[in-house]
Amino acid sequence: MGDLLSWLFSFFLLVAVLGTILYQLMCLADLEYDYVNPYDSASRINRVVMPEFALQGALCFLHLVTGHWLMFLICLPYLYYNIKVYTDRCHLVDVTEIFNQLPWDKRVRLYKLGYLVILLAFSIFWMVWSIVDE
Amino acid sequence: MGTEYPNRPTFPSRPAATPFGVPQSTTPFQSSHPVVGSDASAFRPAPPTSSPAMSSSGPMVGPGISTFRPMPPGMPNDAGRPPPTATPPYGPTVSVPFPRFPSPQFPSTAQVPPPRTSMPGQPVVAAPVRPVSGPFSTPPGAHYPQIQPPTVPMGSPPQGANTMQPSPHVHQGPIQSQFSAARATTQPSSPLAGSAYPAARPGFQSGFPGYISQQPSGFAQAPPRQSVPFPSQPGGYVPPVPAASSPYLSQQGGFAPPPPLTSQRPGSMPPMSAIQGLVEDFSSFSIGSVPGSFDSGLDSKVLPRPIDVDLERNVLSEMYPMNCSSRFLRLTTSGIPNSQSLASRWHLSLGAVVCPLAEAPDGEEVPVVNFAPTGIIRCRRCRTYVNPYVTFTDSGRKWRCNICALLNEVPGEYFAHLDASGRRVDLDQRPELTKGSVEFIAPAEYMVRPPMPPLYFFLIDVSLTAVRSGMLEVLAQTIKNSLDSLPGFPRTQIGFITYDSTSSLTQPQMMVMSDLEDVFVPLPDDLLVNLSESRTVVDAFLDSLPSMFQDNVNVESAFGPALKTAFMVMNQLGGKLLIFQSSLPSLGVGRLKLRGDDLRVYGTDKEHTLRVPEDPFYKQMAADFTKYQIAVNVYAFSDKYTDIATIGTLAKYTGGQVYYYASFQASIHKDRLRHELTRDLTREIAWESVMRIRCGKGVRFTTYHGNFMLRSTDLIALPAVDCDKAYAMQLSLEETLLTSQTVFFQIALLYTSSSGERRIRVHTAAAPVVSDLGEMYRLSDTGAIISLFTRLAIEKTLTSKLEEARNSIQLRIVKALREYRNLYAVQHRVAGRMIYPESLKYLPLYGLALCKTTALRGGYADAQLDERCAAGYTMMALPVKRLLKLLYPKLIRIDEYLLKKPSSPEESKDILKGVPLTSESLDPQGLYLYDDGFRFVIWFGRMLSPNMIQSLLGENVAADFSKVSLQELDNEMSRELMGLLKRQRENDRSYYQLCHLVRQGEQPREGFFFLANLIEDPVGGSMGYQDWILQVHRQVQQNA
Repeated sequence: MGDLLSWLFSFFLLVAVLGTILYQLMCLADLEYDYVNPYDSASRINRVVMPEFALQGALCFLHLVTGHWLMFLICLPYLYYNIKVYTDRCHLVDVTEIFNQLPWDKRVRLYKLGYLVILLAFSIFWMVWSIVDE
Repeated sequence: MGTEYPNRPTFPSRPAATPFGVPQSTTPFQSSHPVVGSDASAFRPAPPTSSPAMSSSGPMVGPGISTFRPMPPGMPNDAGRPPPTATPPYGPTVSVPFPRFPSPQFPSTAQVPPPRTSMPGQPVVAAPVRPVSGPFSTPPGAHYPQIQPPTVPMGSPPQGANTMQPSPHVHQGPIQSQFSAARATTQPSSPLAGSAYPAARPGFQSGFPGYISQQPSGFAQAPPRQSVPFPSQPGGYVPPVPAASSPYLSQQGGFAPPPPLTSQRPGSMPPMSAIQGLVEDFSSFSIGSVPGSFDSGLDSKVLPRPIDVDLERNVLSEMYPMNCSSRFLRLTTSGIPNSQSLASRWHLSLGAVVCPLAEAPDGEEVPVVNFAPTGIIRCRRCRTYVNPYVTFTDSGRKWRCNICALLNEVPGEYFAHLDASGRRVDLDQRPELTKGSVEFIAPAEYMVRPPMPPLYFFLIDVSLTAVRSGMLEVLAQTIKNSLDSLPGFPRTQIGFITYDSTSSLTQPQMMVMSDLEDVFVPLPDDLLVNLSESRTVVDAFLDSLPSMFQDNVNVESAFGPALKTAFMVMNQLGGKLLIFQSSLPSLGVGRLKLRGDDLRVYGTDKEHTLRVPEDPFYKQMAADFTKYQIAVNVYAFSDKYTDIATIGTLAKYTGGQVYYYASFQASIHKDRLRHELTRDLTREIAWESVMRIRCGKGVRFTTYHGNFMLRSTDLIALPAVDCDKAYAMQLSLEETLLTSQTVFFQIALLYTSSSGERRIRVHTAAAPVVSDLGEMYRLSDTGAIISLFTRLAIEKTLTSKLEEARNSIQLRIVKALREYRNLYAVQHRVAGRMIYPESLKYLPLYGLALCKTTALRGGYADAQLDERCAAGYTMMALPVKRLLKLLYPKLIRIDEYLLKKPSSPEESKDILKGVPLTSESLDPQGLYLYDDGFRFVIWFGRMLSPNMIQSLLGENVAADFSKVSLQELDNEMSRELMGLLKRQRENDRSYYQLCHLVRQGEQPREGFFFLANLIEDPVGGSMGYQDWILQVHRQVQQNA
C-alpha cells in the first residue's frame, strides 16, 4: 500500500513539473508569435523556473528515499542539468537577449518535455504494476 | 630566359584554343564596333611602324579586357607587337583595340579557316600595346582608378557591355607586369617584330605553327622584361617584383594553363567561351610557381589594398535607380539566392547593414511627405508603406503591394489617373512614388502618448578621481556651452544627479540622499526642469559644479542607486541619460567586484566571462530603460579597471554608445571630450523610436546585431537613434525556391523628432534574385560583409575565446574563397594562384584587420580589458564607412605637403596619397599621419629635417612626446599642419581624433600607438598580410 502511495505521490509531482515546463513553452510560443512582450514573457517564465527545479529535486529525493532506484537514476541527468545551469547562473531567461536565445530555450524545454513524458510513462507503469502486485 | 621558357609551351596551346570562338560574344562586339573590320586591316600593315608608336601611345589603352584575353597570344608574339601601331591614337584607340581584338579572334575560332582578320587580331597586338604603356605611363590611372595591380585578370568578358569595363581593371595588373618589361624591349625589337610578324600570321592560321616562330622573338625580349624595373609604378601598382622570373612564370601559368592544348585556351580566357553563363570577372594573383614554394612566390606589393578607394558599391542604384541610397542600406550581396541550396553555398552571410538616419549630403535630404487628409497609405495585409515599386492598376483605383502582391484600394484623396504608359499623372509631385527614401508625418494613431520632449539627464560621478582628472570642469563647461544648441527648444528638459558615496539630486533644489538601500525621490517632477524656463538655474549650477566638489575626497561610487534614482526621475518621459563614470561602482546595489584582467584565464573556457556583464542588475536596468524610452550613453574616464563590460550593457541594450577615455587627463583629452560630448548633445536625435525591416515573401530577417533591444521578433526598440548608429541583420530563406525575380526590402523607422513631430522614415530597396553563385559574388559588398562579420565576431567573444572568434572569421573567408575557387578552378586550372572575385578583393585584408582590432586582437597583453570591451561596444554601432576606416586606417606622408604648400585641392590630394600600412612604407626622412577615424598619430622619422620639427613643435622639440600636444605656432608650416588636421577632422565629425605624436624608435610609445596598428606587419605573434594570404590560400586549396 505504501508503495502505491509513493508512486501516486511521485506521479503528481511529475505532472506538476510537466505543467511548469508546458507553461514555459507556452510563454515562449506567445513571445514568438508576438502575443506578449518580452518583459512579461521573461518575468512569467522566470517566476516558474525555481518551482520547476524544486519540484524536480523533490521528485528525485522521493524516488531515492522510497527505494525506486531505477527511477532515481533516470531522474539524475535532469537534476544534474538543473544544478549546472543554476550554478552557472543562467537558469533565468535574460530579457535583453530573449529573442536571440529563443530557439535554444525552446529546444531545451522541448527536450525536457520529452524526457518527462518518458518518465511519466515509466511512472504509470510502475504504479499499475504495484496495484496489480497487490 | 631559360626559366621562362618552360612555361612558354603553354602559350602555343592557348591560341589554339578554339574555345574562343564563342560566336555569341563575338557578334556583339563586332556589331558595336563596326570599325573592327577596317581596323583589322589597318592593323596588319601597321606592324613595322608600330614599334615607335607603341611606346609612346601604348598608354593606357586600357582596353584592358581585350588586352587581357589576347594576352596569351600576344605574349608569344611579342614580335607581333607591331600591331600596336594601331594604338597610336590615345583615347579613342582604347576602345578600338578592343573590338578588333575580339572580333578577329572569334571569327577565327569559330570558323575553322581563320579569316585573315583573325590573323591580325591574334597577334594580339592590342595586348602588348596596353601593357607596354601602362606601367610606364601613369596616365592609365584614369582608367584604373583602383589599384589592382596584383590581380591577374582572368578576364571574363562580361556579358553586358558594362561588364567589360570592370574586367579591364582586373587584367591590368598582370598585363602590366608582363608587358612592362616587354615595352622596353619593344623598341629594340621592333625591327624584329616586323620580320616576325609576317611569319606569325601564317602560323596563326595553321594553328600554332606561328607559335614557334614567335617564340624566339619573345625570347629575345624576355630578358629585358625581367630586368625592367617597375620603380616608376606607384606603390600599389608594382607588379610582382620578387624573383623576376618566378612571378612571371607563374603568371603565365595562370594565363595559359597546363598542357592540354585545347583546354588551355579556355583556361586563359575562361569566361568567354566555356562559362558564358557564369560570366564573371575574377581577379587573382600568383602565389609561387610551385605549390611548395609559397614564400618566394608572393610579393606583398601586389596584394590588393583599399588605399584612396571608395568602397561604396552602387551596383544596385544602376539596376534599380529608385532604391534608397547605400548610405542607408547595404546588403552583403545584392543578388539574393533563389534557393536554399544556393544560399548554403554562400558562406559570407546573407544580410544587411542599416543606418536609418545616415547623414545625407546637402541637396539629398530625405523629402518629407504629409498625408494628412488620407492617412498614410499602407498595404492592408503586410503593412508595407507605399513606395516607388508599387504598381497602380485598374486605371489608378487599385495598387498592388510590391512585397506581398495584395491588391489594395487607392483612397479617394490619393487617386490619380494613369497615363498611357500606366504611370500616375501626378508622379512628379509624389516623392514617395519616386524616391527610395521618404519621411512621412505620422498622424495620431502612430502615437501611444503625446510626442515626448527632448530630455537630457546627466548622471555625474563627483568622486575624487573625477575631480582630480579635471573631468568635472571640462564637463560643466561643455554642457554649458551646448545648452544653446540642444535640439528641441523650447521644450527641452534637463536634469542632473551627482553621486559619490551618496547621490545628490540637483536642480532646481539640491537634495542629498544618503540611504542607498531604498532610494526614493520625493518630487520626481521637480528634478527635471524645462531648460528655457530655468536657464539661469542651470547656468548657475554648472558654474558652481566644479567648485562644489573641488575638495571632495570621497573615492566611493554609489553608481547603482544613482542609476535607479535617475530611472525614477526619467521614466515618465524617457529621454537620454548621459553617465559620466570615473571609478568602479563600489556601493549599494550594482556594486562590482574588481574582477580584473586575469592572465591565467586567457586561453581557457572561462575567458569570455571577463567580457560578459557580471551583475544581472545592469541588464535588468537596461531592459527597464528601454521599456521607458531611455537611452544611455556611457562616458568612462577611469585609469583603473571600471568593468566597462558590465557598465557598457546599459548602452548596448538602450541603443546608446560607450565613450572610453582611458586615464582621462583634462590637459590631454580635453578637446576630445568637449568635441564628442558636444556632438552627442547637439546632433539630431530620433526619440522613442522603433524600427522594423520588412522584406518580400520567401525571405526573412532572422537575427539582429548591434546596440538595441528587440521588442518582438522583428521590431527593434531604439529609445534614441542618431546618424552615427548602424545595425546589422542576417537574412534567411524561408522557402526552398524563390519564384519572384526581385526581393524588396523596406526599412521603417517610427520616431519622434526633437521638434515634437511623430515621423516615419521609410527606405525601400529592391534586389534581384539570382540563380547563380558567380552572380552573387559579383554583386557582393565587402563593406557590408565586414560590418556584419565584425558584429558577429564581437558577439562571439562574449561566448567563447578570442581565438575562436578570430578563427571563425578566417574560416568564413576561406570557405567563401574556396567555393569561389571551385566555381572556376576546373575551367581555369589556376593552381598556385589565389583567385577571388573582383568585388571581394579586399575581403581577406579586412578580415585580417578585423582580427587585429582592439576588440579582437591577441590575448591578455595586447589590449586592456576595458579598452577591448569599449572597442567592442563602439564597433557594434559603427556605420560601414567608419568601420572600414577603423579597420584599414589611412596612412599618409605629409612632410612633402607641408613643404610644398599646394594651392589647389587637387594638387594637395595628389601629394597626400595613402601608403600601405606597413613599416616598409615608412621613410625615416618623412613625417607621416595615421588616421583611423578615432585618433591621429603623427610619426616623426628619425631623419626628418630638424627644421621641420622645430617649426612644428617650437620649444618642445626635445620634450617627451607623451606630454606634448600639438599647437599652432606662428609659422607657415605649423599653420599648414593644423589646417590639414582640421580638414581631416571635418571629414569625420562623429569622433574627435586626438593627435598623438610619436618619434621613430621611441619605445614603447611607438609600438603602442603606431607599430601595433600597422596591420600589414606581423606584430607580436600575429600574422602579417603576406603570411595571412598564404595561409588563407593554403586553406582554400585544402579539400578544394
